[in-house]
Amino acid sequence: MTLTETILCSKTHEYISNNEDKNYTVGLTDYAVEQLGDIVFVELPEVGASFNKGDVFSTVESVKAASEIYMPISGTITEVNDNVVNSPEILNESPYENGWLVKVDFTGNDIELSDLLDYNDYTEEVK
Amino acid sequence: MVKIIMKQTLLHDKQIKLGAKMVDFAGWHMPVQFTSIIEEHKNVRKNAGLFDVSHMGEVFVSGKDSLNFLNKIVPQDISKLYNSKAVYCQLTNENGGLVDDLIIYKLEDNKYLLIVNASRIDEDVNWFVRNSVDFDVYIDNQSHNYSLLAVQGPKADSILRKLGYNLEQEFFTIEKTTLNSMDVMVSRTGYTGEDGYEIMLKNKDAVKMWDLLIDAGKEFSLMPIGLGARDTLRLEAALHLYGNDLNEITTPVEAGLSWSIPKDKTEDYNGKNVIMNQIQNGTDKKLIGLKMLSRAVPRHEYEVYYNHEKIGNVTSGGFAPSLNENIALAYVKNLKELKIGSTIQIMVREKLYDAQIVKRPFVEKHNNNKEK
Repeated sequence: MTLTETILCSKTHEYISNNEDKNYTVGLTDYAVEQLGDIVFVELPEVGASFNKGDVFSTVESVKAASEIYMPISGTITEVNDNVVNSPEILNESPYENGWLVKVDFTGNDIELSDLLDYNDYTEEVK
Repeated sequence: MVKIIMKQTLLHDKQIKLGAKMVDFAGWHMPVQFTSIIEEHKNVRKNAGLFDVSHMGEVFVSGKDSLNFLNKIVPQDISKLYNSKAVYCQLTNENGGLVDDLIIYKLEDNKYLLIVNASRIDEDVNWFVRNSVDFDVYIDNQSHNYSLLAVQGPKADSILRKLGYNLEQEFFTIEKTTLNSMDVMVSRTGYTGEDGYEIMLKNKDAVKMWDLLIDAGKEFSLMPIGLGARDTLRLEAALHLYGNDLNEITTPVEAGLSWSIPKDKTEDYNGKNVIMNQIQNGTDKKLIGLKMLSRAVPRHEYEVYYNHEKIGNVTSGGFAPSLNENIALAYVKNLKELKIGSTIQIMVREKLYDAQIVKRPFVEKHNNNKEK
């Protein structure tokens, strides 16, 4: 099974991938990083910070422009990926593996998950 | 549904086939990148790049008062131009502000070519007409009939040689000639800080010339370049972008362009009093170059601070691929204590980040000339 078969994507181009229990990895889809182009700056929140679904939790800047990144589910940050802060190009090279942004403990209602699309539906959506 | 129709150059379809990501630029549907802005940028600095800049405007000025007319509308001394010589100019208004910046080429006595910004063609032509009432001149806007291809980078010269171009050409000159039986005007100018050429030709030959250049450029690693890298290249070279760094309320003196203005020009020109007064007595604001001391990216309109006081705004900024740093041009209050090396702050998303004032250009230019 490949990673893209297990992720869920938001219409604002973030994905989540379940780790264990209520812990999820959050990142940007391959479509998003392709559209952004060369990424040169990533700002991430602190561990422990809490966000509601739809809150801005990160800013990613490409050569072209700055983009706000929205939390696809409500959650509390348990880990941030310092590698992408130090080497933002990892986001372009490996959005689903090395280029993830944060890990969160999901604190929302399961209805939030049903708003998200599986990868196939998502790629149809952005075609 | 409203369908917005954008203008296209003759290379539009070819560029899409090459995989270009397209954007709206000044009403034109133009490529912003082909592969990656950083890769394209670095290739121009190291090898060469091919730019379609056909959206830019070409206006011919002819007639017996051409020289006097041009001397009325720009601070530069057009009488200094010999045939084939070009000069970087500003189109000033009565207050010394800029209607546009442009390059004026002298083709022959009483015949000049003006290359102007795509976003300003209509304003410029109106301006020329309004200013020409007392002069016997003919203003011929040929922007829709000509295409313009730029070959820029250290290998640009070799690529043109490979195509059979055999003229020895000085920087900032233009030659009327033929290349592979196509009538062209070749000027040794550009907007990257590198050596290079701009080839102006009739629309009907644009695709053929593009293909010839791509073909001749293969062994020199020539790549097609989008507007994204065009912007990062010009920013590193600290070349102004009209609309960002220049506008109708900014004078060339404030913009750091005094070097381009002769102090001994006897003819009157639009805004001369203001400009000469500023050269003598200084200005309230000035253009600076800065580099960020962190990874934060300065962007157009971000605020600049010094000692907790807002002193200005960024006008162009972003990542500089050749430097692996974030740089910007900004207008700030003309305070004595602000010098090369001073630390100031840029407001990025409600937070202040340190930046240092550095000299312009940010990278060394490789076209052996002070001119733009």
